[in-house]
Amino acid sequence: MESDVVVPGEKIADKPIKSFYTYVENGKTYSTVVGLFRNGKIIPLNGPYFPEKDDLVVGVISEVKIHGYGVYLATPYDAFIPARDVVRSRFDVGDIIVANVSNVDEVRNITLTNVRKLGLGRLIEVPPVKVPRIIGRNNSMINMIKEKTGCVIIVGRNGLIWISPKGKVSLAVDAIRKVVKEAHIPGLTDRMARFMSHESEL
Amino acid sequence: MEEIDELLVNGKRVDGRRVDELRPLKIKAHVLNSADGSAYVEWGNNKVIAGVFGPTQCLPYHIASPLKAVIRTQYLMAPFSSPEEHGRSGPNRRSIEISKVMREALEHVVMVEKFPRAMIEVYVYVLQADGGTRCAATTAASVALADAGLPMRDMVAAVAVGKVGGEMVLDLNYIEDSKGSADMALAMTHRNKDILLMQMEGILTKEEVMKGVKMARNAIDKIHELQVKALKDVYGSEIEENLSYMLEM
Repeated sequence: MESDVVVPGEKIADKPIKSFYTYVENGKTYSTVVGLFRNGKIIPLNGPYFPEKDDLVVGVISEVKIHGYGVYLATPYDAFIPARDVVRSRFDVGDIIVANVSNVDEVRNITLTNVRKLGLGRLIEVPPVKVPRIIGRNNSMINMIKEKTGCVIIVGRNGLIWISPKGKVSLAVDAIRKVVKEAHIPGLTDRMARFMSHESEL
Repeated sequence: MEEIDELLVNGKRVDGRRVDELRPLKIKAHVLNSADGSAYVEWGNNKVIAGVFGPTQCLPYHIASPLKAVIRTQYLMAPFSSPEEHGRSGPNRRSIEISKVMREALEHVVMVEKFPRAMIEVYVYVLQADGGTRCAATTAASVALADAGLPMRDMVAAVAVGKVGGEMVLDLNYIEDSKGSADMALAMTHRNKDILLMQMEGILTKEEVMKGVKMARNAIDKIHELQVKALKDVYGSEIEENLSYMLEM
């Protein structure tokens, strides 16, 4: 198939299509990012995380305040956990947590809810646009990595991934890095299956 | 400015180019591991590298805006970039000015309103200079920003035009720049050819300026083609087909 990579300013339609990665000018639609143009939509190939309501995110407590906690999410915007939501648990700076985004306001103040503390583990950072690829269709990719390594893996939409200390942690890290590196190259699922079965035998 | 006659002989310039010919231009995107986006440009004897970070938390806080991301640019020449630069590199009057005009050009294309309170950093280093480095720097910065995945309304490209040997010429090199009678740097968006940067030194008539802008417009198309190619080459020709499920996630 011919490459359908689009770049910023490239025309993708003669009619207006409003979406997150398009720009409409004089009734015509242009891409705003380097991405793949598929089925009338753009899949970005690189870029920052845009927080959205209900996203599952992994973060690190960065600040303990009187009325709540500040959380680092590997984005320019720190998130906030109101203390009333987590009356029963107490966090310290450096604790790794997983939570859902409950609200994002117009200046990108992020509020978190449904906060759970993750114990010690490996925390890695990946480009947020690769997260859907790491999870795979119907969680297929991440389930395969979990199964072959025996690790508990929690993937945040913001690109932070927590891996439990039990299991083959370094293999899980290698696998995730490989997915990130080869995300756009055809045949990834088969390649990953081969990689995992070969490596887990060693 | 005193002009040397030999700058234009029988329509040929000092380096053998025609009046409307660009120097050989090579652009490569995604050349650095640590930057979010990067680009390397070889434009004749110019060598320029650009790295982009962002959006990141805005520091110092007092420059942050609740309406848009702040762009910070730094244009710097390496001490070894040219004989004149040796021993006086680092931020100086000239490089601070170029950083400013470049920032103003980029602010018009990057969709800064999508990142309130944040900051986007653009660093451009000139490794080797031979006239027209601000154009090469702006061209590289545009590719690096796109490579970082930052939303942009359009790509920017830049080129200089000037008057050498009594004629308007495109893409001046250092000798033409310093010995010619006028020099005008232009940065434009590709689609609408909006002029985002225009700086002139010397004297030109209105007709000459209009002719220069027209030459630059044609050149911008050629430069833009190479910018697009550089960005597309990063991901190669083979692209996974079954990525549609990513749209639903």
